[in-house]
Amino acid sequence: MSAMGVGRRRSKLIFAVSIYAALLALLVLFLFPLLWIVGLSLKTRMQVFASPPLFLWVPTLQNYATMLGTGAFQSAFINSLLISAEAVLLSICIGVPAAYAFARFHFRGRSPLFMSLLVMRMLPPIAVLVPMYVLFSKLGLAQTRFSVVLAYTTFSLPLVVWIMRGFFEELPRELEESAWVDGASRFAAFRLVVLPLVRPGLVAATILALLLAWNDFIFAAVLTTDATRTLPVLMASFSGDVGVDWGAMTASCVLVVLPVLLFSFAAQRHLVAGLSSGAVKG
Amino acid sequence: MNPSSKAVSYARVVSSSATDALDARPSTAPATGWFARVFDRAFVWLAVTPTALTMLLVFGLPLAFSLYLSMEGWSADETLFGGKFAGTANYEALLTDPDFIGSLTLTLGYTAVTVLSELLLGLGIALLLNLDLPFITFFRTALIVPMMMTPIVAALCWKLLLDPDHGVIDYFIGSNIIWLGRPWLALFAVGFASVWQNTPFVTILALAGLRSLPHEPMEAAAIDGANALQRFWHVTLPLMRPYLLVALLLRAIFEFRAFDNVYVMTGGGPANATLLLSVYTYQASFVQFDLSLGAAASWVMLLIALVACLGFVALIGRRTTA
Repeated sequence: MSAMGVGRRRSKLIFAVSIYAALLALLVLFLFPLLWIVGLSLKTRMQVFASPPLFLWVPTLQNYATMLGTGAFQSAFINSLLISAEAVLLSICIGVPAAYAFARFHFRGRSPLFMSLLVMRMLPPIAVLVPMYVLFSKLGLAQTRFSVVLAYTTFSLPLVVWIMRGFFEELPRELEESAWVDGASRFAAFRLVVLPLVRPGLVAATILALLLAWNDFIFAAVLTTDATRTLPVLMASFSGDVGVDWGAMTASCVLVVLPVLLFSFAAQRHLVAGLSSGAVKG
Repeated sequence: MNPSSKAVSYARVVSSSATDALDARPSTAPATGWFARVFDRAFVWLAVTPTALTMLLVFGLPLAFSLYLSMEGWSADETLFGGKFAGTANYEALLTDPDFIGSLTLTLGYTAVTVLSELLLGLGIALLLNLDLPFITFFRTALIVPMMMTPIVAALCWKLLLDPDHGVIDYFIGSNIIWLGRPWLALFAVGFASVWQNTPFVTILALAGLRSLPHEPMEAAAIDGANALQRFWHVTLPLMRPYLLVALLLRAIFEFRAFDNVYVMTGGGPANATLLLSVYTYQASFVQFDLSLGAAASWVMLLIALVACLGFVALIGRRTTA
């Protein structure tokens, strides 16, 4: 009896140890590239190109100071911030009421409309890149931030509608109906009863729309100029001459990624809920 | 929250409107005042129109214009409708261009291999993360980091890591491999960077699926004497199918349009080894500045994506209603 117990305990231990070993190996695989980049950003120019590479050194924030003081970086950061915020705001304001209507009301053309939204999300956006560029140029919009905001809004709208519709459908209809009985108008019931309850959905939709706008490259590359370009466009312009200043380049990599990472961690629970509900439940 | 009902509701959304009738109950809001009454009646219209209009004007209209462009001999200095009608000439030019055909097969192969790797790896990691061990939440958080990174930045990071002169990966290997300078190695590197970045997405979906699986079938199988492998193969995997199919669909959509990692790491080279369709389209439109050819290429992409999606939707619909 006891020998068997010891054997079982040992095999359980071996199992746990091998699981942790696998997890640690994955952790190294998935995090090492980012950590190494962070490391490079904290090195001086001499240390960056030291051979063999340095694994221990006194970190310096010089690269961050340089990068944050560069006009091009500052303006790209502000452009990214404004464009993302505007695109998120626009798609939430437009998309949430539509999602509510899709979830709660039966109206003519509901299914085809919703279907076409889904299909639009699945089409490769590069298909509208060329004509958007042509049309925006002819309208005189191609040089403005607004053109990119509009493009991003069309990407995130289907996503917002899709996610929020799922969250609205999970709420029992009786909630609003009892608010109506108590004399609330439809708008008041929506604002005071429904919206607070779907906050997790709103957070998830906001993050995903934000990620879309903040991370996009190709539309910003085509639709912006030097004055309106976003961070990814600036970063891509570095890739042409990789030989130059790795310290400043990696520092800006970290500065681009950090806000999104922090934001996503803060709301990770909602993000996961949104991703899986938006993807699986429809 | 059981998975089969989720799957059914997904299928319902994408394949039919059979249950619309259930939602057709008239809403009976006791509107107060004329404004509220008018607002009530117009609510659906007010709520849906902005979305429909935005999508139509900013997405649908360009799409239609792109179809028009693809059938024209059009250049940027002409007026909007000033081109000469060219019929299918642009499409014929594409389909006889060996670069385009190469790009097409490359993209299909690239999509298949990266998506398959992401699914296998993502499911494997999700199975590990589903175990209830100490510190597992730390791993659950840490392992999704690559997904959050801006794709351009992630690609730039990999380019630095793979640098033949100062890159740390060549240092670890101990030889000067020029990763992005040789056709097959470059293709591998580009695909690897993408798998690295996007596997966490599959992990998240698969983990959400695993967390919501019912316990009973698992326990029943264990009582019947099935070992861990049999339980996984005959119980877990079939129950996970809706989640995996959705992950497959979404990842295939996004790998098919892959652009950022190639643009930064190789620009389509060396010798067109990484010239994916979106890169081909981009170069045709904005490097050679042949907007009509670019429009035709993007419509080929679009049709492939559309056919694949509809096929998938039909598949998922049949599976779940059968």
